[in-house]
Amino acid sequence: MAQSRRNLTYLLVVPLTVLFLIPLVWLVLTSFKKETEYLAYPITILPVTWQWVNYQLAVTMTAFSRYLFNTVYLAIFFTGLSTLSSAFVGFGFARHNVPGKNVLFTLVLAMIILPNLVTVVPQFIIFSRLKITGTYWPWVLWGLTASPWHIFLFRQYFSTFPRDLEDAAEVDGCSRFGIFWRIFLPNAWPALIISAIFNFQWVWGDFVNPLIFLSDEATTLAVKLSGSTYVDPHYNRLVTVTMAAVVLYILPIAVGFFAAQKRIIEGVVTTGIKG
Amino acid sequence: MAELASRLQTAQPAIRARAKIGPRGRREIVWFYVFISPWLFGFLFLTLVPMVMGFGLSLSNFNGLNWATMKFVGAANYLHALTDSQLWSSLRLTLLFTIVSVPLGLLVSMGLALLVNQEIRGKGLFRTLLYLPSFIPVVAGALAWRIFADKNSGLINGLLSWLRPGMALPWLTDLAPATLLMFVLWGGVGSGMIVLLGGLQAVPQDLREAALIDGANEWQALRYVTLPLMSPVLFFQLTIGIIGSLQILVPPLLLAASGYGSGTTVYTPPPQSIYMYLVYVFVQIFGNQAFAYGIAMLWILFVIVLLLTLLVFRTSRGWVHYEVEQ
Repeated sequence: MAQSRRNLTYLLVVPLTVLFLIPLVWLVLTSFKKETEYLAYPITILPVTWQWVNYQLAVTMTAFSRYLFNTVYLAIFFTGLSTLSSAFVGFGFARHNVPGKNVLFTLVLAMIILPNLVTVVPQFIIFSRLKITGTYWPWVLWGLTASPWHIFLFRQYFSTFPRDLEDAAEVDGCSRFGIFWRIFLPNAWPALIISAIFNFQWVWGDFVNPLIFLSDEATTLAVKLSGSTYVDPHYNRLVTVTMAAVVLYILPIAVGFFAAQKRIIEGVVTTGIKG
Repeated sequence: MAELASRLQTAQPAIRARAKIGPRGRREIVWFYVFISPWLFGFLFLTLVPMVMGFGLSLSNFNGLNWATMKFVGAANYLHALTDSQLWSSLRLTLLFTIVSVPLGLLVSMGLALLVNQEIRGKGLFRTLLYLPSFIPVVAGALAWRIFADKNSGLINGLLSWLRPGMALPWLTDLAPATLLMFVLWGGVGSGMIVLLGGLQAVPQDLREAALIDGANEWQALRYVTLPLMSPVLFFQLTIGIIGSLQILVPPLLLAASGYGSGTTVYTPPPQSIYMYLVYVFVQIFGNQAFAYGIAMLWILFVIVLLLTLLVFRTSRGWVHYEVEQ
């Protein structure tokens, strides 16, 4: 009985997993084909000869390293700011008993239903008046002001800390800020890592905000790769080279994903944040 | 939303209340506001002020440049929206897509969660691999699907033509809604699966086993024990799913249209069959500089999202069960 059930599970889960991976496998295979081979009919599954040159072209046909640097730079400083500010706010909600706190926390969560563009479009108008479009200042502001899911995550995490920890520190003359900075924060590594991973993944994958706020030189890989970046002299899109660039683009995310999959999955389970 | 918040709050240990406000309490209030100040600042200046300003602009003829000559036009943009046939067809399409994709996504996520919750070897690997497409950036996923579903060079048609030579279905044009649906499911059910897996594992096993001993079959145990106990998680997923689906933008923008991205000034919109509400808004604002009208449409969407969320909360009383009573 148990064995037949296990077999049935395999019979369903193995083909489904394969099905889920096929588009990604096809992406990788295409990135190694010659453009003429990609366009030929009937299609080939495996590349006839593996075109490593596509990867070389992906890096040299455009200023790939600049856009990579932009993306990494933006992702790292946004992740740092947003993770810390969310931990700060989460600590505020978790460890203080103040009238009106629950109303404010409800307001934090209510922001989840607000369509993003309702605030982003007027922000764009304001920021272009302030002449900070085309720069990373919008990301500094967004990073400094914490985000609802992450506040929720840290609030949950800090709520589980024992009260005595706080009281003992207070007796020792530690300020509230000191309690947060020297006691709570260093003991919140699991939450910090989950929050950082999802912040990083968000910036790395974000398409709409760089498209709206950044100029061509300052933009990220997400925007650059979706545009007409890799073309032949007749402005036809070079699909295979584009796909090589896409593989390079998702490589860090995929490696990070496999390295931290246990924590990531745990993080999704406890917060409902989605990748 | 208030209910959601209070329910989320009851799900974790309450913090011991302190005695009534003394000097110590006052100090606590000050520190509380110091700690939440980053969020408060963002809420005031990056949410509230832009929203109010946006609403003000939606009552004008603002086009992104005419600051000096801009005029107050009252509800004209909202009245125009009522008779804008493109808006209505995009809205209908978006609602239809939501009605199909959200329940279907939830169903598939639940099925996958049940599968990878079985005691099989390599279940961790299956979980990871099924979740992978949800973690991959949407831009990469959309570009991958564009060549996967391409009419001439795509793998789907390649495999189909082996079955029937010459068969080439127009996945990115006539069949775009089906492709969009598959793409959205591919990129979303993995994370849904993980969330539901968490819910599944929180269900006390002894209750399920008791039902089985009492003669219930597997299906009945699932239907009458596991699912009701998981209903808060399912409800949460349903709500978040609806909110997200009504705001779908990047998948239709990138899946079928070409020429998006920096350096392109011409916005080639996706085919009518996947011309979702926010796509229309996006084209109006950033393609046609119709800022005032675009923001008016965003406010209309906001009201629709709000009403639908309230509606879902209303109906939830009939089917969502909470163990913790307030």
